[in-house]
Amino acid sequence: MTRKKCDAAIVGSGFSGLVAANILADRGLRVVLLDENLHVGGQLLRSLPWGGVLSRPDRFRRFGFDLIGRVGKQPIEVLERTKVLDIVEERHLVIEKDESEIAVVEPRMLLLATGARERFLPFKGWTLPGVISTGAAQILMKSSGVLPSKKMLIAGMGPLLLSVAGEFLRHGGRLLSILDMGRAPDKALMLTQAFHQRSKVAEGILDLARIFLARVPLHLGTAVVEARGGAELGAVVAARIGKDGGVRGGTERIYRTGSLAVGYGFTPNIELAQLAGCTVDHDKARGGWVVRVGDDLETGVDRVFAAGEITGIAGALKSVCEGELAAFGMLRKLGREVDSRRMARLNRERVHHLRFGKYFNALHRIPSRAILSIPDDVTICRCEDVRMGELKSAVTEGHGTPAALKRALRIGMGNCQGRTCGPIVCDILPALTKKPQEVVPILSVRSPVKPVAMRSFLR
Amino acid sequence: MKKKQPTQDLRIPSISRGKKIRVFVNGREVVAYEGETVLAVLTAAGRRTLRKSLHHGEGRGAFCGMGVCYECLVSINGRPNQRACMTQVKDLMEIHVDDPKEM
Amino acid sequence: MSELLPRTADVIVLGGGVIGSSVAYHLSGKKVRVVLLEKGDPVSGTSSACDGLIFLQSKKPGPHLQLAMASRARFDDLPEELDSNIELRREGGMITVATESELHAMEHFVEEQRKHGLEVSLVDGHRAREMESCLSREIMASTFCPLDAQVNPIYLTLAFLKSAKRQGARAFAHTPVTGIARKGGGVFAVQTPRGAIETKRVVNAAGVFAPEIGKMVGLTIPIIPRRGQLLVTEALPPLLTRCLLSAGYIAAKYDPGLAGKESQGVSIEQTGNGNFLLGSTREFVGFDRRTTPDAVKHIVFETTRIIPRLLDAHLIRTFAGLRPYTTDGLPILGRVGGLDGFFMAAGHEGDGIALSPITGKLIAELIADGKPGVPLEPFALERFSLS
Repeated sequence: MTRKKCDAAIVGSGFSGLVAANILADRGLRVVLLDENLHVGGQLLRSLPWGGVLSRPDRFRRFGFDLIGRVGKQPIEVLERTKVLDIVEERHLVIEKDESEIAVVEPRMLLLATGARERFLPFKGWTLPGVISTGAAQILMKSSGVLPSKKMLIAGMGPLLLSVAGEFLRHGGRLLSILDMGRAPDKALMLTQAFHQRSKVAEGILDLARIFLARVPLHLGTAVVEARGGAELGAVVAARIGKDGGVRGGTERIYRTGSLAVGYGFTPNIELAQLAGCTVDHDKARGGWVVRVGDDLETGVDRVFAAGEITGIAGALKSVCEGELAAFGMLRKLGREVDSRRMARLNRERVHHLRFGKYFNALHRIPSRAILSIPDDVTICRCEDVRMGELKSAVTEGHGTPAALKRALRIGMGNCQGRTCGPIVCDILPALTKKPQEVVPILSVRSPVKPVAMRSFLR
Repeated sequence: MKKKQPTQDLRIPSISRGKKIRVFVNGREVVAYEGETVLAVLTAAGRRTLRKSLHHGEGRGAFCGMGVCYECLVSINGRPNQRACMTQVKDLMEIHVDDPKEM
Repeated sequence: MSELLPRTADVIVLGGGVIGSSVAYHLSGKKVRVVLLEKGDPVSGTSSACDGLIFLQSKKPGPHLQLAMASRARFDDLPEELDSNIELRREGGMITVATESELHAMEHFVEEQRKHGLEVSLVDGHRAREMESCLSREIMASTFCPLDAQVNPIYLTLAFLKSAKRQGARAFAHTPVTGIARKGGGVFAVQTPRGAIETKRVVNAAGVFAPEIGKMVGLTIPIIPRRGQLLVTEALPPLLTRCLLSAGYIAAKYDPGLAGKESQGVSIEQTGNGNFLLGSTREFVGFDRRTTPDAVKHIVFETTRIIPRLLDAHLIRTFAGLRPYTTDGLPILGRVGGLDGFFMAAGHEGDGIALSPITGKLIAELIADGKPGVPLEPFALERFSLS
């Protein structure tokens, strides 16, 4: 088995990973940067395979692509298409490269910058082919230059629905409507953060303009009730919802479409951090279960640092700030000199970002009535085909934790290893058991942290 | 009532793509460009259903698009259960998906 | 659901794994008032971290095999009795042979077992592949025993628990036993953080934690945890009908000296859900339930040699269970001399699932009827001459 020693291993090549990698390499450290994806850049910095990007990037994204360019010029070992399977002997990473071989990376310092994934609110028919996530729509467009469909409906919760709408319209798609479960007062609160996120606001205004000019109806306080079709999606039923999330009868509307993109916010990818033994906490303001870090972004585990969305969902500006902070923390731990005034400034900046995050995450809070009104025949665990009714029965029979439900119903035992259903179960259990989310114990994580090809072990 | 999408329709015209390659889905050739993901090629070819669900045999297609949900599993060159969204097409690739008509 | 603990019970069963649940089920079926105490989540211990093999072939000829055969017979009635889907599959089992020395060893093993009344035969590689087309060409022979079977261990345990409760047993999870005091008149006061329960009869079904319970009543119980690591693949289309062990597994289980090289042997089963369960290891590492990259690599290597098609599969999960090991490979069952009212039902090592029905039945017969259907002397704690 190949063993590779280095000074710093960084898992995840989004904004925080890229920033940290560049800083550490600038200071002469041997850095290994790993990412499961085909290319570095994380979710936000996606470019076309033939060079260039789909839409002209704003200043912030240009900065990001610049980071990628710099990484390419540094002596940083970049391992794309590489999964981390296990963490052994403190910080050694057991990895699978390109679905073909197993190797071990032995860093002196480890930075976890694994970002976030989307979370979802199941509805009747959400598993029909034709229902995709807003992220899937974005990635099809940005990474392959393909529209998800000619005609689409967008639904869910939060401001990012606008950006996928804008992108889709910009490249010739026909958008039927945008349905947001959020309510106007919540949106207004978000405006208090406008100054902090001015580049985002500019982008948002452009998207709104496109949506307006294309005469796409934008409905607030509206949710998908059902996705209908035979074997595939053919129509979507939506209705207005009350402040508590309950559907207002008589307000149903049908949209004929074979394509629905849904997005409800994000959840941090903390699995690797859990496996490493880092302490995680449930923090509503930070968007759910996050990794606990000190001011220098070191976690509870010695020499393991965390940066970006996994310390709190708050957007790319926080990721950039934390990438730098973590790099300084790691350098200092190695006994190198760091600019402590700059560190202090970054820490102050971080506070602002976290405040933005608080408002951002509030925009994605799904009311418990909406969760409790998920019909019994709706699939909760997509991998193992487990429905809401089965989950409710099991809870009544005393299986009141995610672990107990996993054993009784196989929820979380499928290929996605609980990544899709886990956050949903974490939303459902507090609503069903009337216990606060903080006391519902999170599912423990085992290796392999991602599925690994049996074949890979033979090399 | 299924209308087969014309294959070139979903590709964004303003983009200049790389080399056109030969890719087969269930034995039939589809339009593909080197560098596109298997999912992009399948989407452009009008394929939404990719496989059957484990217990109820219902149709499933891509969902998260970023390698997390494992819904977009297809067979590639004889190897089953590959994520279409995380794999790039290569020349002469043979992709097999389940047929929605069989569900 | 935080019910109050009852003040008394006819029998208190300590441990809510497959053994404790089976004991509670069989006892409550005899109208005995049973209280079962489990220290963690329901089915969160060894019974949730094992394979589901019911292998008669792997049992030592003698009382062990006899017990296993009686248990296997019980399994036939269980799905209906428990009114639950325990994913019982009764297609038989095979022990695969890949070398000449393994072949010689298995020839003798098979002969011994046939002498003890087990229906088992040896078939050549060609026939083995006719029975299971996914077997590699490297397999030169295989045993076949039509009685071997497999079950879902978690569903089995949950089914025992559910039926026990239906019959009036009360089960309490998250209720560890903190002490057991002896009161006058042969009464035990079992102490928990939620209060004490008094009884005249206690069943120690605490598996790897049985020694801890033993200490509370002044007993030395020679059970130590032996870790078995297991791997799980994604759900696959039906490839394997029967359950498999490799010959090295048998050798390593009973006499590590017989095992070839470092081969500990492997176990392979395809579950009702379609996943392949691949095992195993036998390690004395205390209570460490982690899995190790070396063991994973080893199991992958060995199992893909037997079923090459597994190379196309993905590992989605690994786990490790702590099996309650005794030096002679037999469980500790029955009365304890000098401690009236205290019963043992622990130490089944890797045979807990297979022996759970008969263990429950015999302990229930012993306690409720005064006499078990099969003599339990060979399994007595006294055989270790320690306590």
